[in-house]
Amino acid sequence: MDKGLLAYLLIPLLSAVLIPFAARARRRLADVIANVTLLAGLANLAWLVLRPSMISGGFADIPGDGLTLLLVGAVYLVGFCVTFFSAWFMEDGTPNRQAYYSLILVSVAAMTGVVSATDFFTLYVFIEVLAVTSFALITTDDSGRGVEGALKYFFLTFPASALIILGISILMLTLGSLSFDNLRIFMASGVPSSGPVTFGAALMLLGFLIKSGVAPFHTWTPDAYQGAYAPVSAHLAGIVTKISGVYALIRMAALLHFFDGRALALSDLLMFLGMLSIAVGAVAALRQKDFKRMLAFSSVSQVGYIVLAAGLGTPLAIMGAIFHLFNHATFKTVLFLNSASLEKSAGTTDMEKLGGMEHAMPWTSWTSVVALLSTAGVPPLSGFWSKLLIILALWQAGLKTYAVLALLFSIVTLAYFMVMQRKVFFGKKSRAAEASAEVSAPLLAPAVLMSALIVALGLLFPYFYTYVRMVAERILI
Amino acid sequence: MNSFPMEWYFTALMMFVGFYCMLASRSIVRQLIGLEIVSKGAMLALLSAGALANNLVFAQALVLTLIVIEVVVVAAGLALLVKNFRVNGTSDIWKLDSLKG
Repeated sequence: MDKGLLAYLLIPLLSAVLIPFAARARRRLADVIANVTLLAGLANLAWLVLRPSMISGGFADIPGDGLTLLLVGAVYLVGFCVTFFSAWFMEDGTPNRQAYYSLILVSVAAMTGVVSATDFFTLYVFIEVLAVTSFALITTDDSGRGVEGALKYFFLTFPASALIILGISILMLTLGSLSFDNLRIFMASGVPSSGPVTFGAALMLLGFLIKSGVAPFHTWTPDAYQGAYAPVSAHLAGIVTKISGVYALIRMAALLHFFDGRALALSDLLMFLGMLSIAVGAVAALRQKDFKRMLAFSSVSQVGYIVLAAGLGTPLAIMGAIFHLFNHATFKTVLFLNSASLEKSAGTTDMEKLGGMEHAMPWTSWTSVVALLSTAGVPPLSGFWSKLLIILALWQAGLKTYAVLALLFSIVTLAYFMVMQRKVFFGKKSRAAEASAEVSAPLLAPAVLMSALIVALGLLFPYFYTYVRMVAERILI
Repeated sequence: MNSFPMEWYFTALMMFVGFYCMLASRSIVRQLIGLEIVSKGAMLALLSAGALANNLVFAQALVLTLIVIEVVVVAAGLALLVKNFRVNGTSDIWKLDSLKG
């Protein structure tokens, strides 16, 4: 464990224990405690990273490897947006507020644990805690669809845990220890027989690929995201599946030293599956009728970009992967929160019934459009820079086919989002748009905050580039 | 470590049996049982790896932790099964098809 960030794990856990007792008589107290906990953590992190002396020093004083801190920041940011949104989204009575906020805080604590783990077993334990909280969170509103999504999530991702354990046991057999450093040293040294270690790593990578919903293991992703309780789907798509699967993939890609060609088969496999995922997600998203389901397939496609870059494993590609992971957290949170607003106001997320929502809900529409353009990689928004880094890294490594395909599917992304924008936000006012009104300001605040962040990250790219380069240098040593 | 240790055959066998159980049965309860068999196979592998690497104490500690995690996961899974039976009125996995597109 990275001890410097232990407080970010323990304090949400403490609040989670506190909430059921403190908020028994006064229900709204649960909202307050959860929001204050996460906001305090966020303010603390912002002070740690964004104080002027730190920025002018090129972020050289960041503790640990920098990736942990960045992702703890992302976890707190998305967690805060989701709790703030849910505080105003939930109707009185249903669902059970105390249980809901406790679970959200436990899941934030578990994600902090995942990103600050320094050995595979700790990583595994926190991933399991995270998975259990997600099953419970998906079924928050007791709907049939929620239970169905959670069951599919459970049955399709839990075998992945068994594969991870099998991989861990093979690593233990061959390396004698499970720490990240041990694997890094083994891969960096010139020991010739790396077969068993590669096999163990392959099993673990397979588990993490299933958990991150990469094609052909993506079948649970749309069901879980579509069925989940509306704010939970933002939490799940924005950060939970990214931390439990994709983060581990990036970490393993860095540890296995893909760039010096030691585990070439694994690198090829990851890159192929990443490309497949980009293609499958984009093509499937083109023919979706439901807003949330289309976003879920787009999520599969965007995760493909991250996996493709992680599989390449050069410093530039790792930078692109980390940056895209962070961007994905910002734009998918905006989109899923806005889909929740649409569901609350217009009563449906079916794209055939929606239309002309920009007249009825201008703020929701325009924040969505910013996020959509960032996803599709339109300059100067943040999504453009991360995709540019990934494609440049592919081109630099001589993989011109992958680079061209990644660029082409980025255009397909733009295409399906254009279709969606025309169907949902622009065009003639539909009956749903006539009947619905803009949601209240507190429900808009998280989406506006995240959209501002998307624009700011795009415009202040040089600062963020310095940070991400520092991270990539540290984790690739 | 001259001969191939016997436990790994059992590990492979248990994982195969578990996955077969998951594939072949329609009832969600049976699928959960298959899942449990798979993860027990993985635990056996961990224990065996600890013994072969002369680090049995460490492996035992890990397996104890894993058992605790198993309990939590099984509890969550069973709660989902009960909730599914109450809400959807079936325990047949093939009837869970309201989400598609």
